[in-house]
Amino acid sequence: MSDATTSSAVTKTPKVRFSPQRVWTMAMATVTQLIRMKILAFLVLFCLLAVGAGFAFSVINPEQQLSLLKSVTLGALQIFSIVIGVVSTALLLPKDLEDRTLYTILSKPVPRFDYLLGKLIGVLMLIGGGLIVMDAVLSLILWMRQSLLFDEAVDHLRMEKMDSAEAVTQMREIVARQGLTWNLHWAVWAIFLKATVVTTVALLLSSIASSTLFTIVITFCVTIIGHGEALIREFFFTPNLSGMTGRTAALMLAAICPDLAQFDIVDSVVNGEIVPWAAVLNMTSLAAIYVTVYMFITHLVFAEKEL
Amino acid sequence: MPDTPAVSVNHLTKVFKGTLVKGAFRAVQDLSLTVKAGEVYGLIGPNGSGKSTTMKVILGLLKPTEGDTSIFGVPSSEVASRSDVGFLPENPYFYKHLNGRETLHFYGSLCGMRGAKLKERASEMLALTGLEDAATRRVGGYSKGMLQRLGLAQALIHEPRLLVLDEPTAGVDPAGSRKIRDLIIEFRSRGITVLVTSHLLEQMQEVCDRVGIMAHGRMVREGRLEDLIAVENQTEMVIENASPALLAQIDALVKATGGDTRLLRSGHPRTTLERLFLEATNEAKKS
Repeated sequence: MSDATTSSAVTKTPKVRFSPQRVWTMAMATVTQLIRMKILAFLVLFCLLAVGAGFAFSVINPEQQLSLLKSVTLGALQIFSIVIGVVSTALLLPKDLEDRTLYTILSKPVPRFDYLLGKLIGVLMLIGGGLIVMDAVLSLILWMRQSLLFDEAVDHLRMEKMDSAEAVTQMREIVARQGLTWNLHWAVWAIFLKATVVTTVALLLSSIASSTLFTIVITFCVTIIGHGEALIREFFFTPNLSGMTGRTAALMLAAICPDLAQFDIVDSVVNGEIVPWAAVLNMTSLAAIYVTVYMFITHLVFAEKEL
Repeated sequence: MPDTPAVSVNHLTKVFKGTLVKGAFRAVQDLSLTVKAGEVYGLIGPNGSGKSTTMKVILGLLKPTEGDTSIFGVPSSEVASRSDVGFLPENPYFYKHLNGRETLHFYGSLCGMRGAKLKERASEMLALTGLEDAATRRVGGYSKGMLQRLGLAQALIHEPRLLVLDEPTAGVDPAGSRKIRDLIIEFRSRGITVLVTSHLLEQMQEVCDRVGIMAHGRMVREGRLEDLIAVENQTEMVIENASPALLAQIDALVKATGGDTRLLRSGHPRTTLERLFLEATNEAKKS
């Protein structure tokens, strides 16, 4: 160990700036912590069960079967990416404070913003990793299932002596539209973006409140309200529907809560509709704006927080 | 060039805001202290006297209501002030999923260390704190004493010039406690400034150059340990080869006796730091 400098002369201490390496260190520690809490395993297990459930219902035709598989799996991914984002974020900050780990971290030359960003990225890496795995599994199952269903449908047409080239081509198009397409990946991307926005809201609430339960409950309330932003706007803009107080409350809710309905493309994907690039770009930009604004407010709150 | 203290606290007051149920709480009141570079400074006081609050303000974890604090001349409000500080909180916990070595790598990385230098430094700190054998064990399985030593290792990982130790021996068995005391003495010999709080006054007496005694958020005594524990209105005589008869007439005879009997030293006998602490804190309670 080298001796410390006892010279008490005034030394110029360099300013501590934002460091991607430091953020990465925090993010990796968060990912490791969550993985060892078996959170990712829980996500994957549940989604595999959801995939299994997608085959469990009786169906009329191949199109319906593929649509049902996507609907159940994407729905499960949507719910659990949000649940994991909210619960993990609500647990991590109070736990660091309670265990005094936060003291040992922030008494090092670590800006509070780096700590917050590291935590957020860690949770998002876990959700993103889980979604990538599930996207790959679902893609594989859809691809296998669509080949199988197409062969079965052609056999069926042949048995009924309706296997004209035109009928087979039509069947191929129907199955392909409901099978593996880029739209599936866009749906998973939209799920990730929505989970990202909700997780950032949870981080903001977690930096304000000291209670994990409060953070979880309020974030879920914000998530529910966020899905009904269109209703709130309608309420606000419809004259004579409410008094000044109600309209002000509606305006405040609309301003505070993110418009999560903007990320709802799962139904379109399940129905076999094509998601245009522009819609994907819009969703991504909107998520980036929400995350930036919420992180900025979180930083302002956390920078002033007494630990 | 003027000397810059390792820690400077100027007229610090810290008031915690009240709630609807409880009123505001004044934890520290107009506190000033200076820790010189290279010394071991002990901050002692009963529970709730404001020691930990003072440490947190120094480390930038809390904001002062009034006054200011700085570390090596850099205000505590700046993140850069923490570049030269290692902190061991009371009863520290670390991420249970990491082992001892991974924990040190984590804290080292936060301080901008990386690669071979970080690995080497982590091994060095594990050896210094006697945790080499437990380096690959999960921190969740560490004993209290091992956690404290790991806390010291993480505090030292980035070679700080100042160590802030909040109750470093709390809950540690006597052997572990002695080991930590020896480490503090070693840090001083290496020129590291140490600001330490503890309830174990005997140990503080062994390691501190200067002490400050806090009670009810105020500094009630401060100074060099040797000066503080001297009793001004008493005289101590240490005599070599004195006979019982000589002891009875000591004042009158000692100069006249001559020969092998010598008055080696006269001065102020010492009380214990513990007694001084109790007196000082009781005085503050009465006033």
